[in-house]
Amino acid sequence: MKASRHQKRTRRTTLTLPADSLLAAQRIARARKINLSTVISEALSDGLRAFASAERSEQVLRAYQKAFTGFSEQEMLILDGVLPDSVSERR
Amino acid sequence: MIDPSSGPFLFDTSAESWLARSKDSHVRSWFGAYLATHRVHVSAVTIVERIRGYALLSLRAPENRKDQIERARIAYLSEIGRVWSLDGGVSVVAGEIMALLPLPPSPPRKAHQFIESRQERLVRWRFDCMIAATALVSRMTLVHNNAQDFESIRKAIETSPERFPTLGPLGLIRCNSLA
Repeated sequence: MKASRHQKRTRRTTLTLPADSLLAAQRIARARKINLSTVISEALSDGLRAFASAERSEQVLRAYQKAFTGFSEQEMLILDGVLPDSVSERR
Repeated sequence: MIDPSSGPFLFDTSAESWLARSKDSHVRSWFGAYLATHRVHVSAVTIVERIRGYALLSLRAPENRKDQIERARIAYLSEIGRVWSLDGGVSVVAGEIMALLPLPPSPPRKAHQFIESRQERLVRWRFDCMIAATALVSRMTLVHNNAQDFESIRKAIETSPERFPTLGPLGLIRCNSLA
């Protein structure tokens, strides 16, 4: 049978987890009446999403650093759209 | 402190570079948290000002410095966020602001060996009007580093609401009060 569009492909694996995390996940599973795999899977997805966001943020900050490093304060004014007379005259 | 996840915000040209260059750990961590949840939104006018800046620096730079400027320009463009174009709505609002405030509220910039001409000041003022119009039309709070100019625009919009139907108020946050 074909999996529906919304059904994610799953794989079985064995993990070693900190005992307290496992207990917390089991408590959540019981409270929400869902299975442990779903709780772990959701937590992992959230963690991976946060990791990807942090990575993306770092990437943008690195690009900004390269974009604005090595310029004097006067040159930064020019990059911010403030042009001194001397520059205007040379155009 | 402004909650970074409450964005997205529109960033004025000098606010964008101020945040990117800040060495203050609070500012850096605020900007990092903002970037983890939102893109940097800028007006097309900011790209005009920035790219004109890189081009002017390159034109007057010695040969051995041109590469560094070009690498910086490419780095800036490589991770550019969301750019808001100057469309019909923004143009109408910018025109209204410029008519209410035809002249800049502050004099040309003067610093050590640096004097801005009156003509350039007027150009920069008009660019600011376009950036404010973009924030108003996109209904985003504008993060700025130029209180005198943008507060004047905010007040003008508030005192002439009939010129900006269904729009406003203009939300402003000074970049040094974010973190």
